[in-house]
Amino acid sequence: MDIPKIKYSGRIKEISVAGGAVTVGGETSYPFHLFEGEMPHRPMIAMEVFDSPQDEWPQACLEPFTDVMRSPSAWAKKCVEKFGAEMICLQLAGADPNGLNRAAGELIPAVKEVAASVNVPVIVWGCENDDKDAEVLPKVAESIQDKKIIIGPATDKNYKKVGAACIAYGHTVVASTPIDINLAKQLNILLGDLGVPDSQIIIDLNIGGCTIGYGLEYTYSVMERQKQAALSQQDEKLQFPVLCNFARDVWKKREITLDDEKLGDKKKRGILFEAMTGCMLAIAGADILVMRHPEAVRLLKNMINNLTK
Amino acid sequence: MSKIIASAAIRGAYKLVEKAEKKYREAAGRFGPKKEVGFPNTAYYLPIIYGITGIPVKTVADMETVLKECRSLLPPFVKEDHPLPYLAPALDAGMAALFAEEIIEAVRYLEQPDFYTKGEDPAEGKIWLGAADDVIMRKRGVEFVDGTAPGFAAIAGAAPDPKTAAKIAQELQEKNLYVFMCAEHNGKRFSEQLAEAGVQVGWPTRLVPFGPEISAAVFAIGFATRAAMSFGGVKPGEYRKILIYNKDRIFAFVLALGYVSEEWYATAAGAINWGFPTIADTPIPQVLPTGICTYEHVVSNVPLDQIVAKAIEVRGLKVTQAEVPIPVAYGPAFEGERVRKEDLYAEARGGVTTVCEWVTSGAMDEIEDGKIEVIGPDLDAIPAGSQFSMAVVAEVAGRKMQEDFEPILERQIHHLTNYAQGIMHIGQRDIAWLRVGKAAKEKGFMLKHIGSILHAKFHQDFGRIFDKVQVKIYTDEKKVKEIIGQAREVYKKRDARIEGMTDETTEVYYSCTLCQSFAPSHVCMVSPERTGLCGAYNWMDCKASNEINPTGPNQPVEKGETLDAKFGQWKGVNEFVQKASRGKIDHYNFYSVVNDPMTTCGCCECICVILPMCNGVMTVNREFDGMTPCGMKFTTLAGTIGGGLQTAGFVGHSKYNICQRKFITGDGGIKRIVWMPKMLKEEIRERLIKRGEEAGMPDLIDRIADETIGTTEEAILPFLQEKKHPALEMDALI
Amino acid sequence: MALTGIEIFKKLPKTNCGKCGVPTCLAFAMQLAAGKAELSACPFVSDAVKTELSEASAPPIRQVVIGTGDSAVKTGGETVLFRHEKTFVNPAALAVLISDEMNDAQVEERIKKFSELRYERVGLTLKPDLIAVKDTKGDPGAFAALVSRITGRTNAALILMSLKPEVISAGVKACAGQKPLIYAATGDNAEAMAGIAKENSCPLAVRGRDLDETAGLTQKLEAAGIRDMVIDPGSRSARQALEDEVAARRAPLLNKFRPLGFPTITFPCEMTQDPMEEALIASILIAKYAGIIVLSDLAGESLFPLLVTRLNIFTDPQRPMATREGIYEIGKPGDNSPVLVTTNFSLTYFIVSGEIETSRVPSWLLVQDAEGLSVLTAWAADKFVAETIAALVKKTGIADKIKHKKLVIPGAVARISGELEEELPGWEIIIGPREAAHIPAFLRQWKT
Repeated sequence: MDIPKIKYSGRIKEISVAGGAVTVGGETSYPFHLFEGEMPHRPMIAMEVFDSPQDEWPQACLEPFTDVMRSPSAWAKKCVEKFGAEMICLQLAGADPNGLNRAAGELIPAVKEVAASVNVPVIVWGCENDDKDAEVLPKVAESIQDKKIIIGPATDKNYKKVGAACIAYGHTVVASTPIDINLAKQLNILLGDLGVPDSQIIIDLNIGGCTIGYGLEYTYSVMERQKQAALSQQDEKLQFPVLCNFARDVWKKREITLDDEKLGDKKKRGILFEAMTGCMLAIAGADILVMRHPEAVRLLKNMINNLTK
Repeated sequence: MSKIIASAAIRGAYKLVEKAEKKYREAAGRFGPKKEVGFPNTAYYLPIIYGITGIPVKTVADMETVLKECRSLLPPFVKEDHPLPYLAPALDAGMAALFAEEIIEAVRYLEQPDFYTKGEDPAEGKIWLGAADDVIMRKRGVEFVDGTAPGFAAIAGAAPDPKTAAKIAQELQEKNLYVFMCAEHNGKRFSEQLAEAGVQVGWPTRLVPFGPEISAAVFAIGFATRAAMSFGGVKPGEYRKILIYNKDRIFAFVLALGYVSEEWYATAAGAINWGFPTIADTPIPQVLPTGICTYEHVVSNVPLDQIVAKAIEVRGLKVTQAEVPIPVAYGPAFEGERVRKEDLYAEARGGVTTVCEWVTSGAMDEIEDGKIEVIGPDLDAIPAGSQFSMAVVAEVAGRKMQEDFEPILERQIHHLTNYAQGIMHIGQRDIAWLRVGKAAKEKGFMLKHIGSILHAKFHQDFGRIFDKVQVKIYTDEKKVKEIIGQAREVYKKRDARIEGMTDETTEVYYSCTLCQSFAPSHVCMVSPERTGLCGAYNWMDCKASNEINPTGPNQPVEKGETLDAKFGQWKGVNEFVQKASRGKIDHYNFYSVVNDPMTTCGCCECICVILPMCNGVMTVNREFDGMTPCGMKFTTLAGTIGGGLQTAGFVGHSKYNICQRKFITGDGGIKRIVWMPKMLKEEIRERLIKRGEEAGMPDLIDRIADETIGTTEEAILPFLQEKKHPALEMDALI
Repeated sequence: MALTGIEIFKKLPKTNCGKCGVPTCLAFAMQLAAGKAELSACPFVSDAVKTELSEASAPPIRQVVIGTGDSAVKTGGETVLFRHEKTFVNPAALAVLISDEMNDAQVEERIKKFSELRYERVGLTLKPDLIAVKDTKGDPGAFAALVSRITGRTNAALILMSLKPEVISAGVKACAGQKPLIYAATGDNAEAMAGIAKENSCPLAVRGRDLDETAGLTQKLEAAGIRDMVIDPGSRSARQALEDEVAARRAPLLNKFRPLGFPTITFPCEMTQDPMEEALIASILIAKYAGIIVLSDLAGESLFPLLVTRLNIFTDPQRPMATREGIYEIGKPGDNSPVLVTTNFSLTYFIVSGEIETSRVPSWLLVQDAEGLSVLTAWAADKFVAETIAALVKKTGIADKIKHKKLVIPGAVARISGELEEELPGWEIIIGPREAAHIPAFLRQWKT
């Protein structure tokens, strides 16, 4: 019997990051539907590094990083060398005006340090406060000129600042929108109008931080719709690889830290919450997954291997 | 184009090219043809030449090719009997002039390597900065792309005195513009005047002293040219793209201060190629018709105190104010607060006193942006506890402003005023009601601040559809009465106009895809006679929304060929729907519930359903939670047909739509309605009676059953028969 | 192409008799079109129409029921490929394995876990659905004893797993009348298995070496009068399973290929030894079309994530998940603790309650039934406004639990504060943050 095949008329753009060292995207079929198309670049896993120590993390997450938490570069190195991170995502959580409210000047050293300490692609992620990111991310872009990085999130509120800086210094920008493909499309058009070349855009459809048990269905469906629109409806402005920065949201959830016999082993539960959320996002079409726990990373990497080998 | 300008520009271009040729020969002699030339630390060579022609001038010898190009660009001199138009030859001459000036400046870098300071700030005793290197260009250019700096003013010449220079510079800085300065007038230079007035110049203050001569203008235009290549991804030699990029994105203009020499004319003509107009303070001839620039090309004899405002208007630059300058807190958080009687200072209450709010448009030159007048006493002269009359009139003007946008701006007055802490606002038009609380009064709130709010917020939120707004607040009873008379005339005219619009005479409808987040295949289409099914958007709202947010959910759709006039189906609409629904829906009818009706997202105010036994239709509004004759409640119906499905026999619509002339005309129109909830009937009573009259059945409303008659078809049928409901006599519905 | 409601309606008797359970023929037709009703519910429809409509209205993938009564499990009946098109009908059923190799204690433990690992969430009970009883020894007596042991302890719906008809037969007898799923008919035993299934009206799982053989078998069995089938295309790797699942969903939906128009049964338990990896494979199968997923064991740390993932994937894309209305105590609030109000959209509730918890400030959270809409949407739809909030405050009697009279409303609906103060005389309405993420900072500064 022949499997009824979907007629694909488009493909996800191949986006070279880190100055061409690594390429993401390029799919010509739904995720892992390798019987009817290609996935020339496996989804990649980036591991999180923070600009400041994250002492309030659940124990399970602290364990692997206690020795490096006070040095972003050591942290990044450990992720790459010990845990097999394929990219590093430096989360500038410390910039948050409702938190440490660190100024760009205080953050840039961490950015430079991390960029210099690893040879995998680096993502620098703002604090998700539109105004603060508009202030900090362009400075981040300016501070890294000898290397190309991925910078996000650019939202409909600050895309001009973040986008313009990415044009000027040749970095890749991540366009973030809240779970709606029309908004995603609109932001991609706006970035295009600003002058950001298609070859420098990656998208993130999950503002709102959905995870399994917490609204995953919204993200899952919007990603499936994006793939449909991009692959079989020739919607060019949606043919971009997708980045999912979700680990932070997973480890904040109530059930992660609850002591409840019925919920089983706490550490394994947290790891599975993260790995399973990642797995669902990969099945829905993620090209870059930003993750935290080394064991969750190992599990998902292995799963992706099994689905592609 | 003015003949005087054209001939002067051409003569100036000849002079400049000749000077460049001379400079080239000197350089070739002194340094040899292989000597490297260029501006410091740039990958763009001589950027104007490189961008426009694609020629990288690397050595002295390379200049020769360019100079030949200049010669071929130079048009013949304008003769007395030369016919119009002059524009094209003048533009070519201008281009040749800029190439020539770039060569002149490049040779200067060879001859006097230390003439210009390299860096962001002037050095001791050396004010001229010369060409920006690539580091500065990238850093500063980002600001042009992200909107931090909308553009630049290239100032040639000098002001009458340092004080005036400082004032003009400050005005430009306030608009976040860069100021690029060159050339002299009467031995004075703008940059030097600023320095003399104690103003700090240099890149950090955005006041950039490029050079002492007019040829330094190429540093400004070269900067713009590099921006197009660096930020617009334009390749060297793609001159058209470079020029369009600048016209559309870099809001630059030339301010010519003082005597305009032939060289100045030539340089200004060159700038017009980039879409940069010239504004002059001297009575040179004007070049008003638009063509290359967004609006006028050369505007002259502008008084110095108005020159910045004029330049901004001519270049089509929008500048917004970030803060609302009033003495009380301002923001959406205060929208809902009430001002109670005991906290009340004074109020203007439509219906009790005379009150009206009116947005009207005027001519560009009649309206002074930001001007706020209170005609009559302001709050400090209004006694506590009193009720006063008031007319708020916002006069707007703009090159994109349309009369149809007036009501849309006018409706904003309500919530914009409400955002002020301690102020309460209800209603609109001549039933508006404003309450000012004691606390607000104590903090210094005055009626004039309503003007400040409208000025700031209109610009912030609706800047795309207008350019200028001035506000007059009348409290003088007699004047208020006068105004309200005029305003009421306009209200009436507006209502009649909306009522008078028909689908037949309108070629462009608007889409709405706002609901696709949860109804992925749903595409709403809004025409004048079919308002959006959610009731929130009529055709005019969609039109304005599109002007404000051109890439947003409301897109204009050419309806195209009429495929079915009775059911309301158009080719252009179908094509759009197919695309926007991503292939799920390939056609639908505007005026039918039975045959391929429009899809429904789920936000509809009402759902119309066929009642086969009664040979008619019912409609039910969202608020009605009881059973209906179709056997389904509103929620069940919404669940069945929502989500962007096309469901024959069911259609979502707005309340307003029921009494629009085109309501299900394909199925027989309003006379098909046999049932609707009583509350809905009451809500639309007036319009329903009027519509019944139009349809030749003034008592239609009384023949329509409601839940007091019955909630099953069987129960309402006898009533319909008794009332001789017209639907019973119509053709079979299905 | 399925018939539309109107097309079906035209063929109905138009009596509006209501005997089908809905008031009008039109409403019934709409339910038929949506696959939410059976034509047999109409007592007056003619046989000719029945045949005509049943062909058109039968879902392309058959719905199969396993077990009886409250513990019956429905699987199949799916109509779409993507959940955003239309709600997936029957959530993937999770089964746990019990084999005759286990000792009594192990069996007891499995049964205990099966019965106890259930979780309350948004008004639903999340739990595993089936027990798969596996024969490894080929001993009918032992198998029957095991089945009896299980049925004696739980009324769970069962899957009886053996390739030997005599073992299955013994097993079926041991749970007479409980309609277990028989696993599996193969090329070698199809006839005998079909006989047992028919005799006992049990659904029958069909296992081929691949999709082709499976489709051949279902055709053969259908000809033999078996209708309720579940298919196992034999794949035992994640990649192959995904491919087969997609094929088995697409073939009936896109090509009207009936031989694969049945729910599937899958075995992550046979695809890996690592329980964590097994859980991930199961999650993929939840998203991509498995009817039944057989797990090697149950453990809270993996079962709970799987159950919530399933809840996510199988929600109605048009109707948001909602939680119950009422007072929620977070931390141990006292009479000076803040009172916040929000809507019952489950995501809103989860996020708001999560942030309050993060703040470590004990609080009262009032949740108002706004038909599962988020705050702004509910406000826009007139379902979360001064009147409804005031009604909730009165109904819940929150005032009796606190000494102050301060109510924090979401910043997004600040505009209703004035009206709300009028609706709730004596209360002070405080405008909270617009973003839930700012709740902790807000609450930490709370003073009464």
